[in-house]
Amino acid sequence: MSLTGTHEVFASIDEGALNAVLEAFFDARPRRRCYGSPIFVPTTTVDATEIPAIAFPGVPGGIGWRIGFTTPVVDLFEQTQPLPPGLSLEPGQFSLRTEVELCVNCVARKDVRGEAAVARSARASRPDHVVCAKIGVFGIGHLDVWNSPSGDGAVRLRVDRVELVDIRPDALETVLECVIKMILDGVLSTIELPLRALRAGAFELIVEEGPEIAHDCIQAFGNV
Amino acid sequence: MAQILAALDEGGANTVLTEAIASVPALSKSGSGSLGPFTASYTVHGHFTGGSIDLVAPATVRIEHLRCVWQMALSFGIDLDDFLPHFCLPQVCVHIPCVGRVCTPKICLSWPTIGVTVPFGDDVEASADFGLDVALIGGQWKVQIVVQNLSQLQFGPGTAGILALIGAAITPPLLVIPFIGPFLAGAVDLILAAIGIAGLTGFLGPILSPFLSGLKIPVYAQDKHFKLLPADGPFDPDVFVELDAVDARIEHSDEDELVLTVGISP
Repeated sequence: MSLTGTHEVFASIDEGALNAVLEAFFDARPRRRCYGSPIFVPTTTVDATEIPAIAFPGVPGGIGWRIGFTTPVVDLFEQTQPLPPGLSLEPGQFSLRTEVELCVNCVARKDVRGEAAVARSARASRPDHVVCAKIGVFGIGHLDVWNSPSGDGAVRLRVDRVELVDIRPDALETVLECVIKMILDGVLSTIELPLRALRAGAFELIVEEGPEIAHDCIQAFGNV
Repeated sequence: MAQILAALDEGGANTVLTEAIASVPALSKSGSGSLGPFTASYTVHGHFTGGSIDLVAPATVRIEHLRCVWQMALSFGIDLDDFLPHFCLPQVCVHIPCVGRVCTPKICLSWPTIGVTVPFGDDVEASADFGLDVALIGGQWKVQIVVQNLSQLQFGPGTAGILALIGAAITPPLLVIPFIGPFLAGAVDLILAAIGIAGLTGFLGPILSPFLSGLKIPVYAQDKHFKLLPADGPFDPDVFVELDAVDARIEHSDEDELVLTVGISP
């Protein structure tokens, strides 16, 4: 069976190459996997992205927090990486695994006299008492693709579902899964990988079919 | 190995390679050669068009009817001294009283050299088997197809008229030579007729063959340090991956395909 089938051009990137692309992306732009409120990230740099603190009444300066994750490792259908119970990889899907680190600046508010000191501390450049948790995350997602008759096009990874392991009670796990799913999907959906880059610049391709996930690859068919 | 793969079927290869053939910069060459009894200098320019692609596994791209459209400026001089006997007025001496013997010098007339530049052009066709050449040159991966075997050149129908063009260019300056002009023009026509198409193609073939036999058609060219994404603001610099290895081959299944594989790493 030919690669091109009924088309003139075939292009594919396997999961190893896709992971190399993701690694290159997050190595070059580490701020895309590290976000923190000003107590952690005073200003956006290449390394980290400043986000607002979580405003809350009675907490001067808001709740300082930071979230970061390791570069996701993606497995394209068909499944080759193990998944926790409750997740399975279906045709057209990818799975990912990463480790999320969630940190908060745990400010101890003492009394009225101490309030000024607490406020000063909350606005200070260094956090008081940071507590962090690292959570192993597995996710399932799909491709969000677009292409045009001119040959332009891009692929984005969208996260549909996240599974955390060893979190109790289940309700807390569900809440965390929801938060982390939103964050991971938000981050990954901002990464638009052009089709030209995904075929390393080889040949012109006006997409007629795909890009789609199949045989551990993202593949596309079309004409010159 | 982390791999990107791209494949073209023969229809796609026809489109891609036809465009690649047309993108090959015009070639030019100057030199001199013998056309019958004449020594001619030439400047020739050629560019390529057309061709019908046939992919042959495991590593041959056959192009039928590859055309080279060429234009030549052919300059040659006809030294009439080579054709005509030397014409000299002999020395004449007379004896003059009181002066003595007086002689005129021997006077020889040199026949002129008739210089002519004839521009003409035509096309030449050939079929060629190309091999796949993959190389990392100056930090850039290049895949080219390179001629391995070239068939005999087939000159276009216009080539037959080139001798007539040459004759038409030479005849007028010869005709203005007093007395012998018509004779010379006739002689040159006879010489050109003797040269014939075979002699002309024998002259043109060695000039044009290197254009085709040295032809390299680009298929793929990308930096090894491949820019995946351009910078997007001050905090999002360029993103690069390394193209560690590139391979090109022809695969045969239910159809023949030109397949490129590219190994990458972060």
